[in-house]
Amino acid sequence: MRASGVRYLLGKGFENIWKNRMMAFASFCVLLISLLLVGLSVLVSMNISSMIGGMEDKNEVIIYLEDDTTDIEISDLYGALCRMDNVAEANFYSKEEAFEDMKASMTDAELLFDSLGEDNPLVDSYRVRVADIDRIDETIAAIETMDNIESISAPMDFVNVLIELRHILALIFAVIIAALVIISIVIIANTTKASVFARRAEIQIMKYVGATNSFIRIPFFVEGMVTGFFAGCGALAITWFGYDALVELLTGGTNVVSIFGISSIIQFEEVAIPVIVAYLAAGTFFGAIGTVFSTRKHLNV
Amino acid sequence: MIEMRDVSVVYSGGVDALHHVNLKINDGDFAFVVGPSGAGKSTLIKLILKEIDPSSGAIYVNGYNLNKLRRRRIPALRRTIGFVFQDFRLISSMTVYENVAFVLRVVDAPPKYIKKRVKYVIDLVGLSDKANNYPNELSGGEMQRVAIARALVNDPQLIIADEPTGNIDPEMSYEIMELLQSINEIGTTILMVTHEHSLVRHFGGRIININQGEIVFDEIVGGNLINES
Repeated sequence: MRASGVRYLLGKGFENIWKNRMMAFASFCVLLISLLLVGLSVLVSMNISSMIGGMEDKNEVIIYLEDDTTDIEISDLYGALCRMDNVAEANFYSKEEAFEDMKASMTDAELLFDSLGEDNPLVDSYRVRVADIDRIDETIAAIETMDNIESISAPMDFVNVLIELRHILALIFAVIIAALVIISIVIIANTTKASVFARRAEIQIMKYVGATNSFIRIPFFVEGMVTGFFAGCGALAITWFGYDALVELLTGGTNVVSIFGISSIIQFEEVAIPVIVAYLAAGTFFGAIGTVFSTRKHLNV
Repeated sequence: MIEMRDVSVVYSGGVDALHHVNLKINDGDFAFVVGPSGAGKSTLIKLILKEIDPSSGAIYVNGYNLNKLRRRRIPALRRTIGFVFQDFRLISSMTVYENVAFVLRVVDAPPKYIKKRVKYVIDLVGLSDKANNYPNELSGGEMQRVAIARALVNDPQLIIADEPTGNIDPEMSYEIMELLQSINEIGTTILMVTHEHSLVRHFGGRIININQGEIVFDEIVGGNLINES
């Protein structure tokens, strides 16, 4: 095809948006709302995962050491713990420190501590935070095989509840997002179908004068892409401003999210690039692909 | 050139639309297709445009064997045919110029040629002063002249006019007929479907009468057969 032909078809696509502005606006709104529904659901799901992750980060496995463990063995054990891929952090907690902390927390038991004198009944320990609590069992099993370990205490009830909660929420959000995607596709398809239906006579005339299917489709395709792209831009702007305002509300002044940790809220800037790409790509893609399916039926003349 | 050999069409509902039709229209002919509603005239046109396929028989149009023509080659066939509809079927969002130029854009003609050729055919149908008007700003006769310009612009071998005078007043009908005759005189084959026997009698030519899916009359008849006073 000549360059002038390509220019004509692209120009026609842009021109059609203006000439059919009411239908184009309807498509734009439907795409915008669909993108917003899916996009916001994904962001909410990501935040809830992050909040659960924040709670999971507070996990603590306490490794009690045998009483006769030497300083070198304590140091070797630290090295061994740090080399484990699922150990995010390991802190030594000496029995002296533990004893002092116990005394400080039990001020009304002064008599008891006096009777103990200098005898410290506690043992040295390591406080370990695991990176992935799904693998906490295997990590504990591996630590148990190490030397000088007296016992291990892990908050298994807490861990199990979190794991279960995360799995259930992941499933719920997967279903919600999948349903929203399907609903959006159906609505987008019907809107483009209505837009194309309004111009079916035009398509028939084009077919009678010998236009190929691609010649007819390209302007519709361009129209769909441009409308979808702008719907993506609109959804992005609403998400960005709306999200930032919501984060500001949750983190400023009130302690709504303090139980999860402020850092569990994802800042928009952290996910800006994938969100921008996803919105624009999804808007453009669905806008364009909708026209392909909607024009197909009318091309069989 | 159109040739149909023993063509029958039976629609899926069992309707026998055409029944063993044999027809040959040579290059340069002007033929009227007449007959009552439901006789099979529209089916005949749909076959020529390969909008439908025959149930049996062979069809040749402008050098194409339609029985063997693949779907993706249909646009090439239709570019050899100009089509004039009863209801004009102009694209309402395009000006007169754009409606006519569109056909040449479809065949990827060079922009300079499009400009020259479109101006020529719009002049030919007498609408040069309305080139920038939209269809809703034209009378019925003017719209049909635009449709004829559109059918003519790609220099087709054949023009099919389906009731081209059906939606316009009698005086304008004669003008449209004269225009089609002048196009025929420069060598374009014209196949015109009509209900208006007065026009057929006035202008004369080859008359193909279809009734109940069969050609019942196919002869050349001279014009002005009746006293129109």
